[in-house]
Amino acid sequence: MINYRVSGEYMKRVAVIGVGNSKFGVRSDATFPEIAFEAIKEALEDTGITQKDVELSVVGTVGSRLYEMYPAPLINEYTGFTLKGPIRVEAACATGSAAVFTAYNAIASGYVDIAIAIGVEKMCEVDTATSTAVGGRGCYLSEFHMFGTSFACYYALFATAHMAKYGTTEEQLAKIAVKNHYYAARNPKAHFQREVATETILKSRVICWPLKIYDCCPISDGAAAVILASEEKVKEFKAQDPVWLEAIGFGSDTGNLTRREDYTSLRSARIASETAYKMAKIRPEDIEVAMVHDCFTIAEIMAYEDLGFCRKGEGGRLIDEGQTWIGGKIPINIDGGLKAKGHPLAATGCSMIYELTKQLRNEAGDRQVPLKRHIALAHNVGMTGQYCYVTILKR
Amino acid sequence: MSKTPEYPAMKSRTLTLTHDIPISKTKTYWEGLKEGNVHATKCKKCGEIYYPPQVDCPHCLTSDVEWIQLLEGTLETFTQAYLKPQGFTHYEHDYIIAIVKAAEGVKVMGWLEDIDVKVAKVGMSVKITAKTMPDGFPAIVFKPRSQNKP
Repeated sequence: MINYRVSGEYMKRVAVIGVGNSKFGVRSDATFPEIAFEAIKEALEDTGITQKDVELSVVGTVGSRLYEMYPAPLINEYTGFTLKGPIRVEAACATGSAAVFTAYNAIASGYVDIAIAIGVEKMCEVDTATSTAVGGRGCYLSEFHMFGTSFACYYALFATAHMAKYGTTEEQLAKIAVKNHYYAARNPKAHFQREVATETILKSRVICWPLKIYDCCPISDGAAAVILASEEKVKEFKAQDPVWLEAIGFGSDTGNLTRREDYTSLRSARIASETAYKMAKIRPEDIEVAMVHDCFTIAEIMAYEDLGFCRKGEGGRLIDEGQTWIGGKIPINIDGGLKAKGHPLAATGCSMIYELTKQLRNEAGDRQVPLKRHIALAHNVGMTGQYCYVTILKR
Repeated sequence: MSKTPEYPAMKSRTLTLTHDIPISKTKTYWEGLKEGNVHATKCKKCGEIYYPPQVDCPHCLTSDVEWIQLLEGTLETFTQAYLKPQGFTHYEHDYIIAIVKAAEGVKVMGWLEDIDVKVAKVGMSVKITAKTMPDGFPAIVFKPRSQNKP
């Protein structure tokens, strides 16, 4: 495997000082800069600072479904950050975390003291067949061109392999959707505001066998923003007891799915989490609440295993036992996850930090996880593991 | 499902994107598909086999490869696609997308045919072939080998 230098010896400590999240869903009421504004306004008000205090903006957007091909400067200008950036980043579904990673490193290295990471995605202005085609073109020439792959197909290939090797069942996949819909119904910002029964999921329309429509995240619009600051700056603001960004691990893998070692795990997630655990000097057992990348239900089961919350092949058992609900061993995606909160690609990584920051500050209301150690983890995957970021927060 | 309220919107001007993708270096592959054959490349210096085929070896930094034909392999995973993306909606059949590990060790993506998805099993052996669709696009096709017990 790969070993990133994680000593942090020369790096400054970085805190999350403000977070914002727009309503996720089919947002045909607003353009992409208007949605970005919602998240940024909330983040600035949460922090109690203005754009003037922010030295650098990092704008993450995949943007491939937009009428604009270079959307970042427009987002930046509309929301009042002209001259502060943007640095534009793109890492498919992990774009939000790539934006946080970039902002984090700018502060940790001493380049700036305050930076904002913004994730914005507008996906619903094109029809579903077009959106599926754009999304499926992650590996056009050797896959899409000939076989009409989509992201549902890619994850279905992992589901079939996982089921064949470990006996994971369609019922266990359905239980992930039941849990995440349950929490989305209690999250006013979620795309879906309703619970779904196991039988409904199992009988729902097959998209890519064995995945059914309820195994798939929706196509959503949305934005989220995270404001980061150096330790010195934290002292100047009202944030007396901030959430610290303890570690951020990165992992990657082949572009072609045919060049993977197997289809039951994401190597990039294992590399990213090992790096993050090492950097934060913690073990998986120390995590008290986590957001994982459940773009499809099988992805959440693989995440349990890749992050070390259970042994390889036992992800299905973890959901069977209810261990990832609030009250269980490790509550996961208690904001609804990508599956039911929605997955506006670039917004997702920032939205995970949004939810975990609220949790760590004990501001999550009905969905609050009782915390003792105040350690949380976000796992954000790009494509089918071509990228992965694992972030550890602590308060 | 709650109905999304309707908001006013205006149409953008249409953008058509069609590419002329260069195939001069991988012509053997694309021509082979038309004849029903699937090729990989093998670096003449280090022996590494590449699929999808590439003419440049990143280990040796050389561009001297030989073409080898992939004939058979075992089914590693599969899915049947009921949701078709733009560009595929005119195909009436719900194609089965599969990944096969060829005898040479590389893995190939293609459509699994002549079998019901419910009968397909991870580990079954298949022949690796190719065909041209009625619309002119190539497709790699896996067919179960006769020794597979039903």
